[in-house]
Amino acid sequence: MELSLESKRRLFTGGLALLFLVLLGRFAYVQLLRGEQFLEEANKNRVRVIEVDPPRGLIRDRFGEVLVENSPAYAIYAVPIEIRNAPQAYEIISAALRTTPAELKQQIDRNKRGNFVPVKIGRQVDFAAFSLLNERRLELTGVDFRAESRRTYDHGVKAPHLFGYLSEISDAELSLYGDSYSPGDLIGKKGIERQYESVMRGVKGHRFIEVDALGRVIRDLTEQDGERFRNNPPEPGKDVLLGLDASLQRMLETELTGKNGGAVVLNCKNGDVLALVSKPDFDPELFSRTLTPEIWNRLLNDPNKPLYDRMVQSVYPPGSTFKMITAIAGLETGLINPHETVFCPGYYVFGGRTFECHKKGGHGTVDLLGALEQSCNVYFYRMGFRVGLEHWSDYAERFGFGRPTGIDLGEENAGLLPNAAYLDRRYGKDRWSKGMMLNLAIGQGDLLVTPLQMAAFAMALANEGRSFKPRLRRSILDPFTGAEEVVEPDSVQVKGIQPETWALVRRGMFLVVNGSRGTAVRSRVEGLVSAGKTGTAQNPHGEPHGWFIGFAPFEDPQVAFCVFIENGGSGSGAAAPIARKILSFLVENNKLTPQSETEESAD
Amino acid sequence: MLARANISWKDIDKVIIVCVLLLVTVGLMAIYSTTNSPIASAAIRHSFAKQIIWFLAGAMIASAVVLTPVKYLKGVAYSLYGVSVVLLILVLFVGGGKGVHRWFILGPVHFQPAEVAKIATLLALARYLSDEARDLRSLKDIGVCFAMVLVPTALILKEPDLGTAIVVSSLLLPVLFWAGLSPFIVFLVVSPILTLLSAFNVYTFGAAMILIIVVLLLSKRKLPVLLAVLVLNVGVGALTPSLWNRLKDYQKTRILTFVGLQQDPRGTGYQVAQSQVAIGSGGFWGKGWARGTQTKLRFLPEQHTDFIFSVVGEELGFWGVTVVLLTFFVLLWRALGIAVSAKNKFLTLMVVGCVTLIGVHVIVNTGMTVGIMPVTGIPLPFLSYGGSSLWTNMTLVGLILNAGLRRFQY
Repeated sequence: MELSLESKRRLFTGGLALLFLVLLGRFAYVQLLRGEQFLEEANKNRVRVIEVDPPRGLIRDRFGEVLVENSPAYAIYAVPIEIRNAPQAYEIISAALRTTPAELKQQIDRNKRGNFVPVKIGRQVDFAAFSLLNERRLELTGVDFRAESRRTYDHGVKAPHLFGYLSEISDAELSLYGDSYSPGDLIGKKGIERQYESVMRGVKGHRFIEVDALGRVIRDLTEQDGERFRNNPPEPGKDVLLGLDASLQRMLETELTGKNGGAVVLNCKNGDVLALVSKPDFDPELFSRTLTPEIWNRLLNDPNKPLYDRMVQSVYPPGSTFKMITAIAGLETGLINPHETVFCPGYYVFGGRTFECHKKGGHGTVDLLGALEQSCNVYFYRMGFRVGLEHWSDYAERFGFGRPTGIDLGEENAGLLPNAAYLDRRYGKDRWSKGMMLNLAIGQGDLLVTPLQMAAFAMALANEGRSFKPRLRRSILDPFTGAEEVVEPDSVQVKGIQPETWALVRRGMFLVVNGSRGTAVRSRVEGLVSAGKTGTAQNPHGEPHGWFIGFAPFEDPQVAFCVFIENGGSGSGAAAPIARKILSFLVENNKLTPQSETEESAD
Repeated sequence: MLARANISWKDIDKVIIVCVLLLVTVGLMAIYSTTNSPIASAAIRHSFAKQIIWFLAGAMIASAVVLTPVKYLKGVAYSLYGVSVVLLILVLFVGGGKGVHRWFILGPVHFQPAEVAKIATLLALARYLSDEARDLRSLKDIGVCFAMVLVPTALILKEPDLGTAIVVSSLLLPVLFWAGLSPFIVFLVVSPILTLLSAFNVYTFGAAMILIIVVLLLSKRKLPVLLAVLVLNVGVGALTPSLWNRLKDYQKTRILTFVGLQQDPRGTGYQVAQSQVAIGSGGFWGKGWARGTQTKLRFLPEQHTDFIFSVVGEELGFWGVTVVLLTFFVLLWRALGIAVSAKNKFLTLMVVGCVTLIGVHVIVNTGMTVGIMPVTGIPLPFLSYGGSSLWTNMTLVGLILNAGLRRFQY
């Protein structure tokens, strides 16, 4: 069977045409039907979205003075494939960044985005480390520097517990906040930085770059490359204006150096924290650089616990500063007659146990005001027992004890206000003695408070119950428009206390400072009438803690404060002199309007 | 000399020449585009100028081939074949390449004997079959043809170079068929290949067997013949697994990736995927000459050689693809016209061989860029960068034009 030439040609041409049509059909499918989709793929190949971080909002004091600001720093990146070919680079970089080569290697190997995409190996690197690396750049192929910003604290206010710090976002936070953060972003971890993260952070911008097949950057894309590649600039974060008075804070930070303890000063008119110092503290800059494990462990294992904010996070027995609660509860329930006198021989025997007064020979005959002025324990043992746990804890609760004050700072300790239910739980029903009330009445026993709670207590006494929640943030400032968004103070009312009661207790506090036998004469300041109460809190950890709470001026108070010195020995010896420093500083700098002393001479 | 050979220059096929010039021009445009990248290596940046030189040299080679009288072509066929087989054997021992033995490396010159073997095999086959004494019902004559093709195929496979081996072996059936081999014999040879390809899957194998049985029954041959063919096919199917195991790993990978059984994102699957993205993203009009992002940013691999057609697809779009394919079709169609009109059987078979070689290159290469052919690493005639590929194809065009000029000679 031999085909003719012509039919062979037709067969060949037909077969060829068929094959070419199949090919062309496939091209039509790929280019016409799926063209859009492949164009998308081609763009995905070459376009990378680069996030542009907004400048973070600053932290300022009540007068607008900058306390925490942004300074240029450097982030260091390494291209995995190139650094792996240059092993000496590990040594050089890890020396400059104060880590180990092994750790650095692990950091690079952990990255999963491919061998050509730069990995961030160091952040917030300061200029010194940057220049060190830059000098040896020739040995560091594949290492790149990019500018970023770093928090700096160059204005003499450390306040690390208030400001908090920024750190790389954790996986848990990433899954919590979803789309607005990317791995490697900084986020406020503690303090103001965390509390006002959303205010200070701003909104990220985006730009688009073109990369080649190896991930190398070729050029920036602009809207000329298509509307979708239009860059959108970041929206800067807003500044947080604190109620803090930087000069007072600085003075106190210096004054309290070397002590364990601190001070809280509040503005009685709105609850602003004028100063809040906890010592020992640490340099906040430590956290805005690469925090090395050694430094972190040193801070963590320091026996003086500098990472703790003693004013807000730690609790202590308040000692005699709590006697005002016992007095108020007694007066309000009618169980204490202010004129009734008690004889103090220096001790009190109850249920076969002897309860000491701090004055060995005793205070002799005292009434309520005398007992407050001289801080007589025997008087309050007897009156406290008479008032009883139920009334006592009721009035303590009205002042907010046993609850956080609600200050805009995370991780606040609530303290411990014992009541019958608590003691039943702790010691078993009816297994605790009525004698427990004797200790509670003088601020000892199971009772625990934070110094901040005591400052808020002093403010409530100063304001006769029409008080405020302590707060750090005063307003939000837009750094570009200058628009200030002022936050209204949160008022807090202490209810159900008669004016006569306020007057008596405040009179007692007046005498503590100004009376001839007052325990806080050492807090007295020329030209300013103040009131207060000392406390010397026994504790199982050593020397008694020294407390002093108070307010000034006595009439129309403007500031309330609490000074606390851990194991300071006594309130009058350790705390009252610090209070004096605070008050004289305020007077000398015309921050308080002193009141004439006619009031005192009228007494 | 022309007068004595009794040929007229007016008879030269100008359509074919225009087609070749068009294809080379498109190829040069695409090569220029690949050199235009800011990140192209020095070797790539020089390829545009070099390709022009290769083409000019190729044009001289083609002219020389056109001028060569038929008797010389025919006369040199066997010795050229012999030399190429010797070279193919030699290259296995002294040849270079990355893990392969494909090239003789003489200083800057890389010479690939397989390119010569393509033309030598084609000429030898045409000469052998043009002999009046051949009888295509004789098992001996058919056997000699098979051997002529299979010897270089086997040697090229050994290099290894699967793509070129496929191209050389593809010469056999079209030329034999044109020379008068019965369609049944053609079927006899094609069916085991069909079986082989289908043997990886039970269902496709079953379908192939049914198809073969139907064709056998329609052929009305004697029962023993039918049974023998069937047994042969079942045997091939059964042997496929062991044949499969003898393939190199990269060959297996290529084939598996091609049939979609293997995920291979950075290997040949990656090449094809990026090639499809390049071609697809070109759409109908293309992104414009030298403006393909896949090309410029090197997402497209092997872009100036094996995947040059993807550059055409990305930058010139579907219309550019259509023009190029149509040009190839016109070229091959004109060549078939020469094959039909040539009086000399040697010339006829030679042209059929040329058409087959060019056609297989075009179909396998362009099919590869859109994922309907395996990645075997064979270039696109006239477009892909490379001197030896261009010279081989210019020689084939020379042979076709030569036959066209002398189609009235006996």
